[in-house]
Amino acid sequence: MNGLDVVLQQVVNGLALGMMYALLALGFTMVYGIIELINFSHFSVFMTGTFVGLTVLNLMGVTAVSRSLTGLVLVATLIALFVVTMLVTGLLGVLIERLCLRPLRNVSGTAPMITTIGVAFILINLMLLTFGPQAQRFPSLLPNWRWPLMGTAEITFKQLVLFAVGLVLMIVLSHLVKRTTLGKAMRATAQDADAARMMGIDVDRVVVLTFFLGSALAGAGSLFFGLYYGFTGYYIGYTTGLRAFTSAVLGGIGSIPGAVLGGLCIGLTQSLGGQLIGVKWTDVMIFSILIFVMVLRPSGLLGVRAPQKA
Amino acid sequence: MSSLGARLGLDRWRALPLSRRRQILTPVLLGLGLLFPVLTGNAGNVDAAANAFTYVLLALGLNIVVGFAGLLDLGYAAFFAIGAYGYGIAASGQLKPEWSGFWAPLEWAGQVSRLVVPGQADSVQFHFTFWPMLAVSAIICAIFGMLFGAPTLRLRGDYLAIVTLGFGEIVPVVARNWEGLTNGAQGLGGIRTPRLFGFDFGFSPYPYYFLGLGLVAAAVWISIRLQESRVGRAWMAIREDELAAGAMGVDHVHYKLLAFAMGAAVGGLGGTFYVAKLTTATPDMFTFPVSVMVLVMVVLGGLGSIRGVVLAALFVAFLQSVILQDLTEYVHALGRLVGSDALQKVELITSLELIFGIILVLMMIFRREGLWPAVRKVSALTREQQTAAPSRGTAVDLEWARPQAAAGPGRPLLEIAGLRKSFGGVAAADDITLTVHAGELVSVIGPNGSGKTTLFNLVTGLIRPDAGSIRLEGREIGGRAPHEIVTAGVARTFQNIRLFNNLSVMENLLVGEHARLEAGVLGAIFRPPRVRREEQRAVERALEGVAIFGNRLLPRLDHPVYGLSYANRRRTEIARAIMTRPKVLLLDEPAAGMNPAETLELMDLIRAFRGLGITIILIEHKLDVVMDVSDRVVVLDHGVKIAEGAPAQVRSDERVIEAYLGRRRRAA
Amino acid sequence: MRTPGGVLLDFRDVHTHYGALHVLKGVSYEIREGEIVSLLGGNASGKSTTMKTVLGLVRPSEGTISFRGQPIHALRTSEIVKRGIAPVPEGRRVFPRMSILENLEMGRYTRRSEPGWDEDLERVFGLFPVLRDRRHQLAGTMSGGEQQMLAIGRALMTRPALLCMDEPSMGLAPRLVEEVFDIIREINAQGTTIFVIEQNVNMALSIAHRGYVLQMGEVVLTGSAAELLESPLIQKAYLGSGA
Repeated sequence: MNGLDVVLQQVVNGLALGMMYALLALGFTMVYGIIELINFSHFSVFMTGTFVGLTVLNLMGVTAVSRSLTGLVLVATLIALFVVTMLVTGLLGVLIERLCLRPLRNVSGTAPMITTIGVAFILINLMLLTFGPQAQRFPSLLPNWRWPLMGTAEITFKQLVLFAVGLVLMIVLSHLVKRTTLGKAMRATAQDADAARMMGIDVDRVVVLTFFLGSALAGAGSLFFGLYYGFTGYYIGYTTGLRAFTSAVLGGIGSIPGAVLGGLCIGLTQSLGGQLIGVKWTDVMIFSILIFVMVLRPSGLLGVRAPQKA
Repeated sequence: MSSLGARLGLDRWRALPLSRRRQILTPVLLGLGLLFPVLTGNAGNVDAAANAFTYVLLALGLNIVVGFAGLLDLGYAAFFAIGAYGYGIAASGQLKPEWSGFWAPLEWAGQVSRLVVPGQADSVQFHFTFWPMLAVSAIICAIFGMLFGAPTLRLRGDYLAIVTLGFGEIVPVVARNWEGLTNGAQGLGGIRTPRLFGFDFGFSPYPYYFLGLGLVAAAVWISIRLQESRVGRAWMAIREDELAAGAMGVDHVHYKLLAFAMGAAVGGLGGTFYVAKLTTATPDMFTFPVSVMVLVMVVLGGLGSIRGVVLAALFVAFLQSVILQDLTEYVHALGRLVGSDALQKVELITSLELIFGIILVLMMIFRREGLWPAVRKVSALTREQQTAAPSRGTAVDLEWARPQAAAGPGRPLLEIAGLRKSFGGVAAADDITLTVHAGELVSVIGPNGSGKTTLFNLVTGLIRPDAGSIRLEGREIGGRAPHEIVTAGVARTFQNIRLFNNLSVMENLLVGEHARLEAGVLGAIFRPPRVRREEQRAVERALEGVAIFGNRLLPRLDHPVYGLSYANRRRTEIARAIMTRPKVLLLDEPAAGMNPAETLELMDLIRAFRGLGITIILIEHKLDVVMDVSDRVVVLDHGVKIAEGAPAQVRSDERVIEAYLGRRRRAA
Repeated sequence: MRTPGGVLLDFRDVHTHYGALHVLKGVSYEIREGEIVSLLGGNASGKSTTMKTVLGLVRPSEGTISFRGQPIHALRTSEIVKRGIAPVPEGRRVFPRMSILENLEMGRYTRRSEPGWDEDLERVFGLFPVLRDRRHQLAGTMSGGEQQMLAIGRALMTRPALLCMDEPSMGLAPRLVEEVFDIIREINAQGTTIFVIEQNVNMALSIAHRGYVLQMGEVVLTGSAAELLESPLIQKAYLGSGA
């Protein structure tokens, strides 16, 4: 009885984390599905998003030392925060695609991926130079309400908000991709770009749209990070990025439901694994999962195409 | 040629053969290197240079993996770390296992001491000497190289990179957390400095400088030797086209592991050297940005270019240690001049990684081949050569290409029985049975999608049959790996020509000889007389192989093949296949894209090959040609053999005509 | 408005290259309204390149392609499709993880803001009842013949002026091939001009009005379907002359 509530707590925590990884993995997997590119810069866009969010909040007068908000003010602030941040990160993603990736569209091999590594480094260091190496406190917008679940396990208001927002975003994305013509054009392009062209679909525009959506989702994920952990720093792209990347691969790279499933799995691995084996070994655990999946089952859990030998 | 360049004698320099240039450069560079400490007179510069040598070693090591073999390793810092910690643990007081008899011989050799502390069990004090540890480090790293490389063998480029990235991250995490072994985040301290004949290197930069220079010289030498050997060619073939490399007899598993091992070993040398000089090792020295930095050096210099990589590594090292500092001083001075506070506070060194990122992006977009790509000495064609009428080749009397026959011609050589292969429920090969006799020329024809190339792919091991057997001289080759089948005596050309595009004609042909040569890594590096003779004979044979096409390829021997005309690329591919000295030669549409005159010439050549005793299986669509040159014709349709026999007989076979033209409709 | 018998597609003196390889060597043909024209040829004749060139997936190095008098050889594929040329690609190329309905919706992409979805859908279902029955099934799970029907139906959703079909018989059992060609004739009877690139000479000429035979990138033979069927030259073009 004593251990069960600890496990439950870690499950709750893991799912909340998993939401964040899922949002980050979604954008990454969408881009891969369309142009088969491993986009390292995605995780730096994520990191940049936290700073964008920070700036937006500061502009709205909410700082690290402000009190938390409630009611209508909270809802309005959250909406403004998410909308602006997601727009900015979305545009940043489009900028990266146009300037750095489009020139390499027809180049095969690893040159495009290496370019994204370069872009990631540029973003990370721009943030470092602008905001400094110290961790920055993220305003605690959400009040610290919590409700007991069982024994010592409890669920916080923060987590509930994250679940809610994440769910809403995923439902919107799902509707977009499954029911709108544009979303179907995106799926068609991911399945067969040449045939999509033959249908009159403007593949270039679809790619730009995918980058925008994916980066906007990364922006949402970045706000999750700030709101949940209460801080940010120029280096958060590394660890969180790795975990989101593993989520995408585990779920099946290119698969949208796979990204969600993978994200939740990795979130659970992180919290349960941290509890049972030790926090300092989580990175090794997650890396090992990554390597195992890539070597033994490259198509992941829900993936359709196993990436073939070139 | 600008007049300045001419006055500097650049045109004369470029006219010299490569070996001559090396003979001149080597003593000059070595001399400069040895004299540098004297010339500069500044211990700080010597220290910076000694540190720079570490960077050069790392770059040379990664160059083997990425530049030569084309394997993108994003976690290269792992080998740097293993080499560093390997020596660090061995030469510091970190580990103190309990004393046992096991340690006695090492104590006798002076590598460990027995610590006697009253009231406790005796323990072991490590103080391994530096020099043997250099070798041990290299070996341990080579083993890890193979360990980390093994899971990546079947992965394509970007996935391979991710897995190596994963290993690259695991190593520093382990270093940080396995505190018993590595002292965790604090790092190892008190690492003993090297000693030579009683002289302790201590903290003076000078001995390290010369040691580093020696290591770099050795690494450069090894790199050059490897690049210009059978091993290097195998690596470059894998880099250019792994499939075609296998079809020429290169065992990609063996050579990829070898590349990882050699690259890791050199990285390990760098690690050992670095840590011996620094006398400390912390996990933060081996993180992902370090791997990226090494990648930046290789990308900047030019993948596969030894001199480019060395220059770029020196540049990056000096950027970090000297250039940015100096620039910062200027910026500060400028700030004082214009009264700008911000300028006076700038520290450019913190933007080092920003610069790396910019370098990567700019290089990939604008100059993927690097700033100093490998020297490709391409001789321009003389006026005569350009305007010469193409000549036909000498008679094909390549005795070395004549297969050793176990028994006389006419015996069954290749026996295919009940061969089946399906893709997604559709049978590409449906119960094919065919026997080809020694010395025959059999043509395989059929409409589009009938399974001809699939048949070739099955015979040469590119795909595995679902059922059935393929026997060469009685031995089963069905399902074996492509390079084994090549060694057994089956060679092929590809429908859409798969040459090693960035390699020259000569290099392509030499790769063709891979399966018939023997030199391994040691032979490549040390080049004993046996290996030198082997290489020389290989070149001679390649020249003869090229000569069968008259003067078409001979003047273009050192041209990279991507620049050749379509017909010449075809010819190079055929010559390359002959270099494997096959018993059976499979030609997939060799006459595609050739005009009638060229086609006739090609057919004469094919007849000449047959005259040498090589058995030939031909896929061709120019049916006039096929009928003219074949002993037998086999017709496939939808994966099924629908006819077989003499050319005239097959041509008038109703089933064949129907297969090509389609069945006549019943009602109009 | 359309003038029956007017030239719809004019492919004139087109050369294409694939790297150093000269694929199409000055190919010319024309397709008039209301016709079924067939382009025939064996392997390595260059016929697949032809359709790609019409659709803008391959650019000619020389020569022009005009549709209804307007040059299209420099336009992007999406533009060309908007002007009224709909492709049925070689190998079908249906979107495997989308349903039949979704595939058809993609076919109508260039007219997505125009009304008439229901009528267009009904027309296609009328020609291919099996698609109506299975409309929610994922295209990748269908048989080759069903995919071929879906590919044709998808192309018809734009109400194209010219339907370009690349090797519709490829990979299909003979009975199905007859069915497909019957449907092609039916579509033409309903008013669509059709360009069929085919390897199966007899089948293609059984429904075409005129044909062109391509060999090694050049047109070696042309005439009405009847003329071509009788001609011994066709057999020679495919199987070579006697020794």
